[in-house]
Amino acid sequence: MDKINLRQYLATNLHVVENDVLEIVEHCTVQQIKKDSFLVRQGEYCRHGFFVEQGLLRQYSIDEKGKEHIISFAPEGWFITDRESVYFNEPARYFIQAYENSQIVLLDEDFNQLISKKISNYNTFNTKLLHNHIRHLLKRIDLLLSASAEERYLQFVTMYPDILLRVPQTMVASYLGIAPESLSRVRKDLARKNFKK
Amino acid sequence: MKKRSVELVANPPEPHFVGDGFRVHNFIPSGFRMDMQRMDPFIMLDYNSKYHFPASKKPKGVGVHPHRGFETVTIAYKGKVAHHDSSGGGGVIEEGDIQWMTAASGVLHKEYHEEEWSMKGGDFQMVQLWVNLPKKDKMSTPKYQAIKNATINRVTLPENAGTVEVIAGEYNGTKGKATTFSPIHMLNVKLKKDGRANFHFPAHFNTVLLAVEGTVVINETDNLPTDNLALMANDGEDFSIQATTDAVVLVLSGEPLREPIAAHGPFVMNTRQELVEAFDDYNNGKFGYLED
Repeated sequence: MDKINLRQYLATNLHVVENDVLEIVEHCTVQQIKKDSFLVRQGEYCRHGFFVEQGLLRQYSIDEKGKEHIISFAPEGWFITDRESVYFNEPARYFIQAYENSQIVLLDEDFNQLISKKISNYNTFNTKLLHNHIRHLLKRIDLLLSASAEERYLQFVTMYPDILLRVPQTMVASYLGIAPESLSRVRKDLARKNFKK
Repeated sequence: MKKRSVELVANPPEPHFVGDGFRVHNFIPSGFRMDMQRMDPFIMLDYNSKYHFPASKKPKGVGVHPHRGFETVTIAYKGKVAHHDSSGGGGVIEEGDIQWMTAASGVLHKEYHEEEWSMKGGDFQMVQLWVNLPKKDKMSTPKYQAIKNATINRVTLPENAGTVEVIAGEYNGTKGKATTFSPIHMLNVKLKKDGRANFHFPAHFNTVLLAVEGTVVINETDNLPTDNLALMANDGEDFSIQATTDAVVLVLSGEPLREPIAAHGPFVMNTRQELVEAFDDYNNGKFGYLED
């Protein structure tokens, strides 16, 4: 998707002018990271939240057999972090890795304090974001427990409209908790229903 | 008539791989002063300069991907490409052939080095061009024009200077076989050393020259070395090229559509909403299905 900068994102969502968030954003570090580089590895301590201005990150775990399980993708305009280490001072449970060359902004506790102090409705917005995140995670658990592969897939493309064109299908299958062959079957069935020559 | 001058000559930018089978220099839209608006209706030009692919049992190429809203034109100079699409179409593009695919409302396709060619390997050289479609034609039915080299109309230049293959549009009264949705001239100009060719296109037609083989001089002043691309200014109608070695130059000239462009990845539409619909349709199987 299009590049999104944090300044515009905050101004739009907090209903303030960009100048009001300029000082806060200037405090943050912007990093260019190469495809495949890690922001956090399992077992390390993560000290930042990350906002994706351009590119694509993915968060995943690796099981005992060495298989990857994708927890989430973070394309442009998404926040991502390892809550274990940032908020509970425990080693990170997940890897966070760039799948494309990316531009990200590092967010730390100073950022949180500064923005809470300067922008009166930030805490309300942040809480809403957190509720939305929890709502999404619950729905994800529910779908993993109860939904068909097609339902999971349709929910996925609503949430991530362009990811299917950015990552291999094996990664999408991993996110959905289904075999790559099942994803192919779902896509084939949908084409059978919806494709008009 | 006024002379058309050279706006700039661009070196081939750092190459990157599209899939594992195409090693391309992107001139349009990432080249300096070559964004989609400036180059309209030519919205993408990838040039695979001559590159040796070693023999490979597994054909290299690009897996299944969609297109909507424009046409893809593949001009094969060296090597062979096999392609398949979600409507059951497919074929082989051989040396000297042109494949003009109107993706329009949407196709899923894949392109690989042709199997036998891949087994032997060899020099590979191609141009892939995206030509934008007018708003009214973006959702028309997809189609192919497979133009075999032997069927291309040719003009023999005077004084044994060489020949011009007219792919689309017109050159000195000879028309190209390809049908287009907006006025476009597409010529492969094959000059012998010292051979000269003159061109005349309306000044507002956006025009580029790519030196595929050899070197030429434009308007007796500007050198165009091998693999370089000349962007012509829109300040006149007439220009000439003269070959300093035997040379092949791809000449493209098209009338700008002057319509809004909303582009993302493999979709080029007029509005953001239409892009959202394109992703939605792709995700929901409306482009069909094609096995990787």
